[in-house]
Amino acid sequence: MATTNATITINSDIMSYSGNVSTTMEMKKFGSTAGIEETTGLQVKKFNDTAAVKIVDNTEGTAGKGSKVYIRNTGSSSTHFFYVALNASAAASDTAQTIGKLYGGDWMLIPWIATAATTHDIHVAPSTTSTMTLEYMVFQE
Amino acid sequence: MATTTATVSITSSDLVPGMPVSINASSTLYQTGTTTGLELVEMGRGTLTQASGADALADALGTADTTNWVYICNKSTNVEQYMIIGIHETKIGHLGSEEWLWMPWNMGDSDAEINIEAEASGSIDYEYAIYRSTNTLPAKT
Repeated sequence: MATTNATITINSDIMSYSGNVSTTMEMKKFGSTAGIEETTGLQVKKFNDTAAVKIVDNTEGTAGKGSKVYIRNTGSSSTHFFYVALNASAAASDTAQTIGKLYGGDWMLIPWIATAATTHDIHVAPSTTSTMTLEYMVFQE
Repeated sequence: MATTTATVSITSSDLVPGMPVSINASSTLYQTGTTTGLELVEMGRGTLTQASGADALADALGTADTTNWVYICNKSTNVEQYMIIGIHETKIGHLGSEEWLWMPWNMGDSDAEINIEAEASGSIDYEYAIYRSTNTLPAKT
C-alpha cells in the first residue's frame, strides 16, 4: 500500500485575527484506510490556442471512487489563465461544468468522481494564444 | 492590501517505485486579473447530516466569472463518511474522511453554487474557507 500525503497551508492577513489553515491528508481509496496506489505521474503540457483541450479522460479513474487531481498553471501572468471544467465547455465562463480559472502560479487539488461519461472528462481552455504551460497529475483509484 | 498565499506539498516515497513524488507549489491569491490581493473571506465550521441531503455551502453571490477560491475539509475520522462536493448540478468528487480540497471557483453564473452533501450515514463535521473577489450580500427579506 502506498502512502501519499498532501499538505495545504493558507496564510492570510485579510482578517485582523489569525485565519490561517494548515492541514495534511493522506490520499486514501474510497471508504478505506488504504492509500491510493496508482497515478498518471506528473504531466506537463504547453498550450498556444484558446480551444478547450481534454487533459484527463473519465476512464483514467474508476467511477464513484476517490481519485484526486492536481493541476497548476506554471506561468506567472496575472492576466492570462486557464478555464478548468468537467467537460468540453471549459471555453465558456458560465456553464454548470466550469469549475474556475487558474492564473499564473495558481494550483488546485480536488477530489474527482470520474463518472463514466464525457461529462466528467477534465478539460482546460487557455485565455490566450500566447504559450502557457500546465502541469497536472491524477492520483487514481 | 491583504496578502493570502496558498501552498501545497504532495509527497510519497512509494507511490511510484524508485521515483519519490515531491510536488511543492505556492500561489498568491489575487483579485480577478490583477495583482491586488483578495480582501474578502468567509471561514467557518459546520455539521452535515446524511438526512439533510445536498446543501449550498455558498451561493454565487457576486460578480460572475471572477477569481474565487474554496477550501473544504472533511473532519470526520470515520472512513465510511464522505462528502459529495459539487457545483450546482455537477458532482466534482468525493471528499473522504480527513481529506481536503482547494479549488478555484469562477461563479460562472448565479446558479453556480457550491454544494456539499454528507454520506453515507450520521453527521460529518467540516471546515471551510472561501476567498472572493466580490461578494453581494443577500437581499433583506
